[in-house]
Amino acid sequence: MTKLESKNIVKYFNHEGHTLKALGGIDLQVEAGDFVCIVGPSGCGKSTFLRIAAGLTSPEEGQIFFDGKPISTTGPERIMVFQEGALFPWLKVVDNVEFGLKIAGIPKNKRSEISKRYLDMMQLTKFADSYTFQLSTGMKQRVAIARALAMDPDVLLMDEPFAALDTQTRDLLLVELQLIWERTKKTIVFVTHNVSEAAVLGNKVVVFSHRPSVVKKEIKIDYRRPRLVEDENLAKYQKEILAELRPEVKSSSTGEKNE
Amino acid sequence: MNKTIMKKITFYAGLIVVWQVIAMAGIWPNSIFPSPVEVVEDLAYSASDGSLFLGIGTSMWRLIVGLSIAIVGGMILGIFMARVKTVNQTIGSLVLGLQSIPSIAWVPLAILWFGLTDAGIIFVTSIGAIFAVTINTYTGVKNIDPNYIEAARNMGARGSQLITNVLIPAAFPYMISGFKQGWAFAWRGVIGAEILFSFLGLGFLLNVGRYQYDVSQVIAIMLVIMGIGMLIDGFVFKKIENKVMFRWGLR
Repeated sequence: MTKLESKNIVKYFNHEGHTLKALGGIDLQVEAGDFVCIVGPSGCGKSTFLRIAAGLTSPEEGQIFFDGKPISTTGPERIMVFQEGALFPWLKVVDNVEFGLKIAGIPKNKRSEISKRYLDMMQLTKFADSYTFQLSTGMKQRVAIARALAMDPDVLLMDEPFAALDTQTRDLLLVELQLIWERTKKTIVFVTHNVSEAAVLGNKVVVFSHRPSVVKKEIKIDYRRPRLVEDENLAKYQKEILAELRPEVKSSSTGEKNE
Repeated sequence: MNKTIMKKITFYAGLIVVWQVIAMAGIWPNSIFPSPVEVVEDLAYSASDGSLFLGIGTSMWRLIVGLSIAIVGGMILGIFMARVKTVNQTIGSLVLGLQSIPSIAWVPLAILWFGLTDAGIIFVTSIGAIFAVTINTYTGVKNIDPNYIEAARNMGARGSQLITNVLIPAAFPYMISGFKQGWAFAWRGVIGAEILFSFLGLGFLLNVGRYQYDVSQVIAIMLVIMGIGMLIDGFVFKKIENKVMFRWGLR
């Protein structure tokens, strides 16, 4: 069953006064329960694509469908995890996790029950009453994931959530995220510029071309989980992804200086 | 910490001693330059007949009502200015202009509109404070990390929920500066208006002292005005500020 279907998504950027065509017609299908990673050269609009899927911005042309229905705005079934977490510094960890539930008008006791479950899953119980400044970057991303999961979305849209983490923390979270995915059966669309991250996480890795970007290649990775970054059997997938990606990165860094 | 308190105590004690010595030196007559003892006696007298507390109560009441109006109004105006371009381009420029009018300059208009009433004084207090709150709220909302707003929208926050759950708390570190400035303007506004309206309150007591050639009463009331100012700064705003700064990890 198709969860998300993108048909000919076109999006323009405003860059220093002139318009750039960022997305040049993205066609993509994400099956229910799939783990899809999107990689592409920087500035190709992969994060923008995610924001369109979240309903935070709309495309100039084309349409993304969720369960067959066109997306026009945000919805609790499509929740985003942001690059820097975007946690609210005025709220305690537990209140951050409960934020969306509170907005939805879910009563206090039900909220605490849900937040307790996900704080537990992300090993954050001890930090429930902390403020975000008291957490490490890795902890913050755990909270961000807990906050997204607490909404019980069908689809998790993850925008380079591990980009700011140190290697050890990231490797740990890469394994945890696979376990969570297997446990919760969520559909995940994960944007990254890191090829090994994509190979570890994705059932399917989608390579975006240099802008105006289109889907250049879809690479299936059928391999046991949980996968570890150091697993040598993943190297061939990484090579395959890199072979597709490299020419795109090259044209994005030489073809256009105003990046 | 204790050292700074000791320094303060020594400083103020020294100041009072110097004042007493100058007064006792008899350079100026007592009626022009009273000693601290006389000022304290005057304070005790106006406390015993209740006029001091009536004055404090009246001024504080006007301050609280006026400042509350300014805070609520300023926040609403500031949020609209930050979120709606047209409001900023039109009312925004007017706000900057109005802010340059000293609150005392509103007194003649307030008297003509409201007569010699509480409403007139509260009007002067509010109008003196509202634009400081507005401008700081505007700056605060403008400086919110756009990711906070996107994350909140993503989780379903719309309209008034977005305002109360995200815009206000996210802009609060700035807004608190606005409240502090607003309170300072409001306190000046209350006292100034009371002097000119001459209708109860601490400002009125200053005027009474002046008409009675009672310099020690004038000084006594001025000290009360200063003391209330320091108390509110130190206990109300400093406390809120510290709490907010702690949560954000800014201290």
